[in-house]
Amino acid sequence: MEKMNDKLQNTAKELLENKEVNLIIGFTKGSNPLRMRSVFITDPNDVSKLSFNAHCVQDLAVFLKKPEVKKFGKIGLVVKGCDEKAVNTLIQEYQLSRDNIKIIGVECRGAVKQNLADKGEDSVKQSTVYDKCLVCEVHTPLLYDYLVESDEPAFEINGDIKPYAKIEELDAMSVEDRNMFWQKEFEKCIKCYACRQACPLCYCTRCIVEKNTPQWIETNIEETGNAQWNMIRAYHLSGRCIGCGECERACPVNIPLMLVNEKMARDVFEKFGYKSGVDINAKPVFGTFDANDFNEFIK
Amino acid sequence: MENNIVEDVQNARGDKEYSAGGAKDKDKEPRIIAFVCNWCTYNGADLAGTSRMKYAENVRVIKLPCTGRIDPLFVVEAFKKGAKGVLVSGCHPGDCHYTSGNYHSRRKYTAFRDLLSYLGVDINRVEFSWISASEGNKWVSVINEFTNKIKLLPDNSDIFSKK
Repeated sequence: MEKMNDKLQNTAKELLENKEVNLIIGFTKGSNPLRMRSVFITDPNDVSKLSFNAHCVQDLAVFLKKPEVKKFGKIGLVVKGCDEKAVNTLIQEYQLSRDNIKIIGVECRGAVKQNLADKGEDSVKQSTVYDKCLVCEVHTPLLYDYLVESDEPAFEINGDIKPYAKIEELDAMSVEDRNMFWQKEFEKCIKCYACRQACPLCYCTRCIVEKNTPQWIETNIEETGNAQWNMIRAYHLSGRCIGCGECERACPVNIPLMLVNEKMARDVFEKFGYKSGVDINAKPVFGTFDANDFNEFIK
Repeated sequence: MENNIVEDVQNARGDKEYSAGGAKDKDKEPRIIAFVCNWCTYNGADLAGTSRMKYAENVRVIKLPCTGRIDPLFVVEAFKKGAKGVLVSGCHPGDCHYTSGNYHSRRKYTAFRDLLSYLGVDINRVEFSWISASEGNKWVSVINEFTNKIKLLPDNSDIFSKK
């Protein structure tokens, strides 16, 4: 860990001193030793605050959409592999210029679930990491300017665990049962929009829920507004969601939003062979089309 | 038919509380909303009308410039307001007035349809079709078939129903 932090700090220091970036966004130790929080560094003397470990769960790419951050111009960002895909998608969608960002990629060995970490869990194991870490294909970020290698070994995966197993279970259910399941989940929604705020790809300056002439999505916290909001949120992210899981983590009432996001990601891959956040030169899946697209459902 | 027109005028004037589900108590006829494109399907429906062909009167047509303009949000809105079925229809592939609107729409709806079904909405309640300006017959058959299908569906509550 020490070696990793040293390299991270040296890279950040160099970038700031050479004026290659004006701001570094990274992780620092929180008030609780098993929680890490974000830190914004503009002074090269402050880089010692930077740190990285298995408790760095937040997707820092979320800050790239904020005007307060954008005004710094050139930004250095510390990212894990999964979060780096969000940066790729932002570049793909012209929300960010590749010239304005220096990506300090860190090799990640999996992030410990925060609810377990709060109870004192400190080891990276199959049973303690997020579902997304079990299916992770990008422990080393796909795109980076500087890479900080991990000095930890990878955790072992044995066959008996099934990430997002609930998706197959839901697929096998009847429509009524699925409906019952989601109705129960969406009933809990309090429309705090934390899922939107935590999402690195929800960058609209005016979200559809804030538009009130006409008021498309009801603002009260009952059906049908709840179902409508969750459905439209999921639709706006289908084919774009990179699976960082921040929406689900931010949700104060624990709606399993990743079940919807992951399902849509699988669906888009199956139908169009597209994975989001992999290639910055690819066209977004719904920004393009093919004359031979799936046509069976149309009369 | 005449009664329906009177009712619609009253609705439009705000005499009654508007509901896309229609007069629920009087008759249990399900209402179907058809979002159609200006250039093909609307003209196809128009042709059916001027040719005096009869089709189910449950359908209410909403004309938009292109299928590419038909946001899935409209479908959700129609369901929320009480429609039992929603039809989205536009130009055949290759015939789009704006060259590619229907292709983009097809992609969107491929994904959106799966999302609807995954979240527990009966997929039989949404229908998609390509109907050109000369296909008045096809419009009639699509509407009739869809209406019959909708009438056979059980009156289940779903994710959009108010409790």
